[in-house]
Amino acid sequence: MNDIKDRNVRSRISSFFTYLVMIFFTVMALYPLFWLVISSFKTTTEFQMNKLGFPRRWVTVNYKDAWVRGKFPMLIVNSFFYTGITTIAILVFSFMAGFGFAKIRHKATPILYGSFVIGILLTLQSIMVPLFLIVNWVGLYNTRLGVLIPYIGIGMPMGVYLGTEYIRSIPDALVESARIDGASYGRIFWAIVIPMAVPVAVTVAILTVTGTWNEFMLINILTSNDGLKSLPVGVQKFAGALSTDYGKQFAALTIGLIPMLLFYLVFRKEITKGVAAGAVKG
Amino acid sequence: MAKVNTMADTKREQRRAYWALVLPGFLLYIAVMAFPTIFSVVLSLTSYNGGKLFGGKPVEMVGLKWYVRLFGDEYFYRALKNNLWIVLVSVLGQIPLGFFLAYVLYRGLVRGKDFFQTMIYLPTVISTVVIGILWKSFFAPHGAFPELMRIFRPGYEYTMGSHPMIPVLFVILWMYSGMYMIIFMANLQKIDNAVIEAARIDGAGEMQVLRYVILPALSGVIVVTAILAISGSLKSFDLIYVMTGGGPANRTSVLSIYMFDKAFKGAPNYPLANAISTVMVIISFLLIGLTKFAEKKFGGRE
Amino acid sequence: MTGLKRVAVVLLALVVVSSSLFAQGTKEDAAKGQVTLNVLNYIDMSEPNSANEVRLVWDKFESENPDIKIVREDLFNEPFHYKTEAYIASGQLPDVLYMWPSGRSTSLHTTGSVKDLMPLLEKDGLVDDYNPAALAPQFSGFLGELPNGITTTHMLFVNKKVLRDNGLTLSTDYNDMKKMVSTLKAKGIELIAMDNMDDWVMQSCLFSMVVGRYGGTDWYDRLEAGEISFTDDWFVKSLELIDDMYKSGMINRNTLSSPYGASRSSFATGKAAFLIDGDWATGSFMTDITTGDALINAKAQADDFELMAITNLPGEVVKNSNSGVVGTGWGMSANIAAGSAKEEAAWRLIKYLQGEYVQTYRLSTGASFPSNLKVDVAKVAAEQNLEPFITKRAEYYNKYVPITPVIDGVLHSDVYNVINSGLQEIGLGSKTPRTVAAEVQRAWEAFLKNK
Repeated sequence: MNDIKDRNVRSRISSFFTYLVMIFFTVMALYPLFWLVISSFKTTTEFQMNKLGFPRRWVTVNYKDAWVRGKFPMLIVNSFFYTGITTIAILVFSFMAGFGFAKIRHKATPILYGSFVIGILLTLQSIMVPLFLIVNWVGLYNTRLGVLIPYIGIGMPMGVYLGTEYIRSIPDALVESARIDGASYGRIFWAIVIPMAVPVAVTVAILTVTGTWNEFMLINILTSNDGLKSLPVGVQKFAGALSTDYGKQFAALTIGLIPMLLFYLVFRKEITKGVAAGAVKG
Repeated sequence: MAKVNTMADTKREQRRAYWALVLPGFLLYIAVMAFPTIFSVVLSLTSYNGGKLFGGKPVEMVGLKWYVRLFGDEYFYRALKNNLWIVLVSVLGQIPLGFFLAYVLYRGLVRGKDFFQTMIYLPTVISTVVIGILWKSFFAPHGAFPELMRIFRPGYEYTMGSHPMIPVLFVILWMYSGMYMIIFMANLQKIDNAVIEAARIDGAGEMQVLRYVILPALSGVIVVTAILAISGSLKSFDLIYVMTGGGPANRTSVLSIYMFDKAFKGAPNYPLANAISTVMVIISFLLIGLTKFAEKKFGGRE
Repeated sequence: MTGLKRVAVVLLALVVVSSSLFAQGTKEDAAKGQVTLNVLNYIDMSEPNSANEVRLVWDKFESENPDIKIVREDLFNEPFHYKTEAYIASGQLPDVLYMWPSGRSTSLHTTGSVKDLMPLLEKDGLVDDYNPAALAPQFSGFLGELPNGITTTHMLFVNKKVLRDNGLTLSTDYNDMKKMVSTLKAKGIELIAMDNMDDWVMQSCLFSMVVGRYGGTDWYDRLEAGEISFTDDWFVKSLELIDDMYKSGMINRNTLSSPYGASRSSFATGKAAFLIDGDWATGSFMTDITTGDALINAKAQADDFELMAITNLPGEVVKNSNSGVVGTGWGMSANIAAGSAKEEAAWRLIKYLQGEYVQTYRLSTGASFPSNLKVDVAKVAAEQNLEPFITKRAEYYNKYVPITPVIDGVLHSDVYNVINSGLQEIGLGSKTPRTVAAEVQRAWEAFLKNK
């Protein structure tokens, strides 16, 4: 009897702490966003004097200014364009390569695949300037293609790595029996591999979408025309160490945040399932 | 005879298919990442000193000069140390915390599983720039954090103390724990419930189930997450760059920021910057090799 | 399957929609006979006047000069700097670009990427239109950019009301200020607000002035000539003064975690008696035209605040000096052929940007103080009813002379980076002034050897 009671008390205490941790994380996720949004309705002067509370006067001019001055409508369209094409291209190319590496024996595989894996360790900052020179040299500077190709190339290592490892777990027998039935590799790719690799494809898609959507350094270097830049570049024009107006900075940040938040809320289930599926096979 | 013919045909078709599948992606990768990387490694051995790279001042090979200079700079070691702190927090902080959260949600120890899961993962999808700016304004001496603290403790004074990395590490811990939680959750779901039930019937407590059933089944995943954590930690840039810029006195600098400063602040020194990034790749190689070694040594079934 | 399908359908839809929108696209082809100028502009979009700047500065130029087509790239902060570096490495510079006389634009000067503008000024007989100090040779010994004006990097903003309320008399004498610490601390007020998280702030906004006071106006020339070194008294004393300011609580060590610009409000609201910043900070206290709010309103600017400099440092050699550097301005790519139509167009643009009209406009927004002598500050201030800080700023410039060099304006980044972080180390209390001085000297010797 005593034992059970003891257990009950213990489990109550531990459950209390568990809830505490959960609530802590929830508050930590929501409060900064909440703070960002209310701050974006303050004038700089008010923000400086009242950092926590609600604004005395809700100022919407911040949003109007950021939206118009930052040319946000155009930048948002651009962001969708780059993110969409990059994601699709990475999915196609990296899974094709992954299929080749995983299911067709070839002596070049260790070298080629190994070089992709090294790619995961490379930092963008170290290749920025050489990349700029190359893009200039081939005449793609300040073009959409000149942004897309680097974006796709940079996403390849992660896509190939996750794709190959996952496709390896598809039984060889499936591929072989399809071969015996006379199916071409292309057909096997579309009819067998792709449908089976959906979970990891979702993972790669999500990593690529968030990565591409938030990227601002490379695109800023590779384009000069405002009409070709993306949303984060616009946000950067308002936000930074030397920015003078907090209200507008926060308004711009909020605008920059909304598309990703919507994306997350809509695809919440797929995202959580997908990310997991991708990493299982690492 | 006919049979041999088909074999050769198959072989040829196989080879053709292989290249058709692999080549497009590989060429993209070579053009965009591998070539610039080789370029940057070569540049790290030269005397290039700004200005037009081609058709400018002639460039000479200077061997390992920049590497020698790098290894003689105290701020290099400071950045490296901070990087290792981040690796430590990722491997020993994010992963256990992520596991704990996953375990709690998986075993149904709290209600509202979906809601909490959403909240814990939320920071991962927000742009690091936004997060960095938010926390920077938050932790500033006149920012929201000290004001918040004063609600609980009037007269609270923000002191930086001797550990400026703590706010940074805290934000990193908060930001990425969700990712590991999700990974663990999916893998927990793969464990056969019957095994757990059987263990419980045999009288195993919650802790024993964890120790003898769940952890062994997850050992492979733990290695995978460790590798992800290590490569991610060594590359971390955006968050710290926005939050502190590496200051004060490079106390929160990491290798990528150290490199970026050499390349883009003041008179640029690309060779030195590229030497840093080469060293970074080598270090992550070593750490990941170490993890793989540990995996082999202490085993664990996948 | 549904997961991927949903993602794929949404992505595809977005691609289709966005590419169809692009079909209409923006065409920016120059009309016949027009010269196209690529311009790299630096603009803080969050700044209240930035929208006006496009209209009142750029659009106006294009309408007055129909033969010139301007393609402008607006950037701000870090993205601006790394884009510039990438341009330099590729050798394809924009035709006209915003730049610094040194510091972050060092490579533009040292690689000969921009033209010397002096011959063009001389040809048009415009040399006398500009403040002679503004036309001093820049980092590589020529006029790489035509500056907006002279920037003095040390400005001591004084909140007289705080001093009055605490029974203190206004003094910017170093020792007098030091004595105020205890009185103010008792009330929970800081003596000096400053944002030292970014390492350039201490060096630029305070230390450069201090070095000038101890080292004399010609410290850099003598250093270069090898007559003095960083381990000598003038430099060690300067570092010791900073050390003393931290130790005596004149500057709180907390300021090392304060991001740049963050403490302006606490100063304006009386949480500190003084603020150390650069002269460029003046504008941020004035009225924001989009909201009508001001950190310090016009009346308070007149009655309660002063713009000054710290005076009477113990043992100083030069009195009342301040550190200054020619301001940012506009440069022209060296790729443009001399005597070409493009050069003429680019030069016309630069003359316009540093001419009477634009400089008057920039004066009225508080953005910069004119280098063009045709702009009569007093007259503009009276006519346009400018806020008191503008006239106080003009007085401040007359009061603190001579002007001594700013450290990151004359030294190479390999050297001033060591000074910058050394100053922060002193702030953290982790290095002594002597150690820092020795390190700086080592960096200087290494730099000389590599040169």
